Amino acid sequence: MARKRNPARLVIALSVAAVLAVFLLYTSIAGGGTPSLKPSQLAGHSGRVSLAGAVVGPVTGDAHQGGLHFRVKDIKGTESVVVLYVGSVPDLFKVGRHVVVDGRLKGGTFVAVPDTLVTKCPSKYTPKKS
Amino acid sequence: MNLALVLAALLAVALVLYVARPFLREPEAADDALDTPGADELRRLELAEERDRALQALRELEFDHRTGKVSDEDYRTLLGPLRRGAAEALRALDR
Amino acid sequence: MAELGRAALVLTLGLVLYAVAAGVYAAAARRRRLARSAQNALLAAFVSTAVAAAVLWAALVRRDFSFVYVAGHTATKLPLVYRLSAFWGGQEGSLLLWLLILTGFGAAAVLLDRRATRDLLAWVTPVLGGVAVFFAFMLVAVASPFATQAAPADGAGLNPSLQNPYMLAHPPLLYLGYVGLTIPWAFGMGALLSGRTDERWIVATRRWTLAAWMFLGIGQLLGSHWAYVEVGWGGYYAWDPVENAALMPWLAATAFLHSVMIQEKRGMLRVWNMLLVILAFGLSLFGTFLTRSGVINSIHSFTQSSIGAWFVGFIAVVIAFSLTLVFWRLPLLRSKTKLESLVSREATFLYNNLLFVALTLTILWGVTFPILSEAVRGTAITVSKPYYNFFLRAFGLPLLLLMGIGPLVPWRRASLRSLERTFLWPIGVAVAAGVVLVFLGGGSSSVGLITYTFAAFVTASIVFEFARGTRARHALAGGSWLRAFTGLIARNRRRYGGYVVHAAIVLLAVGIAGSSIYQTVRERKLRPGQTMTVAGYTLAYRSLQVKTGPNATESRALLAVSRGKSSLGTLGPGKNFYPVEQQTSNEVAIRSNLVTGEDLYVIADQINRDGSVYFKVLVKPAVNLIWLAGFVFVLGSVIALWPDAREERRLAERYGTAGAAVRA
Repeated sequence: MARKRNPARLVIALSVAAVLAVFLLYTSIAGGGTPSLKPSQLAGHSGRVSLAGAVVGPVTGDAHQGGLHFRVKDIKGTESVVVLYVGSVPDLFKVGRHVVVDGRLKGGTFVAVPDTLVTKCPSKYTPKKS
Repeated sequence: MNLALVLAALLAVALVLYVARPFLREPEAADDALDTPGADELRRLELAEERDRALQALRELEFDHRTGKVSDEDYRTLLGPLRRGAAEALRALDR
Repeated sequence: MAELGRAALVLTLGLVLYAVAAGVYAAAARRRRLARSAQNALLAAFVSTAVAAAVLWAALVRRDFSFVYVAGHTATKLPLVYRLSAFWGGQEGSLLLWLLILTGFGAAAVLLDRRATRDLLAWVTPVLGGVAVFFAFMLVAVASPFATQAAPADGAGLNPSLQNPYMLAHPPLLYLGYVGLTIPWAFGMGALLSGRTDERWIVATRRWTLAAWMFLGIGQLLGSHWAYVEVGWGGYYAWDPVENAALMPWLAATAFLHSVMIQEKRGMLRVWNMLLVILAFGLSLFGTFLTRSGVINSIHSFTQSSIGAWFVGFIAVVIAFSLTLVFWRLPLLRSKTKLESLVSREATFLYNNLLFVALTLTILWGVTFPILSEAVRGTAITVSKPYYNFFLRAFGLPLLLLMGIGPLVPWRRASLRSLERTFLWPIGVAVAAGVVLVFLGGGSSSVGLITYTFAAFVTASIVFEFARGTRARHALAGGSWLRAFTGLIARNRRRYGGYVVHAAIVLLAVGIAGSSIYQTVRERKLRPGQTMTVAGYTLAYRSLQVKTGPNATESRALLAVSRGKSSLGTLGPGKNFYPVEQQTSNEVAIRSNLVTGEDLYVIADQINRDGSVYFKVLVKPAVNLIWLAGFVFVLGSVIALWPDAREERRLAERYGTAGAAVRA
């Protein structure tokens, strides 16, 4: 029973359309993702963002009680912002290390989303996270 | 570090000799043509693949029928065309 | 000795350049001796690369800190085995490892296939040589492992969390996988270049693809296990770009493994298979590039490195070259057979391929989106877990279901009536499992319930396949049931090996679903004497123990664990502090229940000076099924890889090389 039209083409076309539909549906509902910003770029962003930079001391407070306070500055610059963080602190966390943390800017302080602090490993090929 | 350079030189010589080996073994080659299949042989290969495919399809149908995956009626429907396909492939190959 | 290493690499570069030039000329002009010479050059390139590798390994063993690389990745006190594995700890060394494996595999492919595929091999040689040229060039001109310096007193050392067996095996296994995918690609390109329209290239590379895929899978599983027990945040996969870098080629290769079966059986999907092998190889290059350059903000790849731009250029060249070839040979590739029915095994393979490719592309989009958005909009926008989880479920769950449907559907065409009969029992089992699960409390998550139900369906389908096959064989051949069972597998190694691999995937799915969807997490600060309960476990914090070892100060918070009235022993999560490296590492404590597969996972998140500890406790059901899946996965792959004398004979006859060892 040879069919004039190859059903495979139709199946592929429909599937591609379905996949695209699923994709577009997701991105329209859930949004496009979180912007990854340096401290110098924070101004003006009010929603949830991902802050990337280097840790500047002093580091005070308790991450599990009251919150950990430290500053994060541009890796290649001087602008910095105060960060208030609650949650797990990765082992590699130290003054000078490069970190990424999610949160939003509220009244001059970057209030972090709990447990989103990630420290990058200094120069070796190792993964480290919390 | 002369030792390093000597070793490197030795390595280089050995490997270059190895690369040149086909020419060193046969300085004058009677037949230097690469063994590429001609149009005939390619056609034969294609037919052989078709024959193997047809035979394997028959074998699988047999197996699927025995294990109950293909019902009796489906088996009867599919058997004919497959057998014919295999016979055609075998005949084409003989030619 | 560094000069020997450098010279050896220059030699390699020269040899592979020759292999390309001579190989192309020999294949185009059909010169036998020159073609042979080009192949010899590939073999010789392996020897010279091996010499370079030996030089580096010797320097690592000797603690020769005059090598910049050795000083950068080892220290005097580092044990031998980690000095050896530091070979691939840095950029230059891992490039050398890539080249070593590539030339090794190239040599093996040449030696094994020499007699069988003369004209195909004539084109494969320069293609493989071309890839080697890139890596050899990088090693000679851009990132040499043999840079020297005035030797410092001691080296920089290796990150303590890397000093464990999983990290020993993880990179080489992944590389065996990445590089292994070069072979089917090279043979595919060779087939296009030589204008051959038959399936020889697929037959010749089938085991290569399967082996590479197996290594890639195991490498990733080991990496996940390391993350779970060593890094200790409670998870095993974080959708980090470097993790995805290995997952994407693996998914593409999985699709390829399935679709070549269709090409072999029905002669269809030739163009699709070419495109898939190009995708798989391209993604494995991309994966190497992601891990090694600083291009994407990942916690792994912070070093902005010089090789990034080179890699991008190379990948672009490879893709352009491959697609041009496919386009050029398009008329030859068009197949004559068509899909007969949308309800056939071919069709399920087609759907599975579409889903795999869709999942691969969504992950690729997620990984490259930050770079693209930065280029277009100025800010890098990252996507994270919710994005990946959504698509994993959207595409993964149908794939899970298809794994159970595929084996039950015959080739070519299936009538609905016969399908009813074969599907009845597996669906029944699945529904029953679903009901039981709801009673056990699994109804709290619909995704979890669906996953488990699908898993039950697939398991039933696999069990029935084995049962039906054994029964048929027993009826035919007699003998004991055991003999029928083993005979069944021995005569259909690929099929039943494949079913075992499917079983491994089922275990993986159940393990992942259980440990993520149905896990319980509790965090509490405890003083000595206090207790906390999590999901039926009671943990009593007894005391804090501090020990000073040779390399580190170890703090352990001792907890007495019990369940109801029975004591389950002691757990000691804590931290190690390494004074030399000035670094703290997390040491989690895990108690595995080997019957249910559940883990009690305790992290001492923060140890305070007053002896109180902030604990994070996770109870992860079924998580050990994931590691069990690894063993089953290897078992199935080995069964499918196992040489089959009968098949070899059949192929030898077909390709007219009776008497020669045919690699299939």
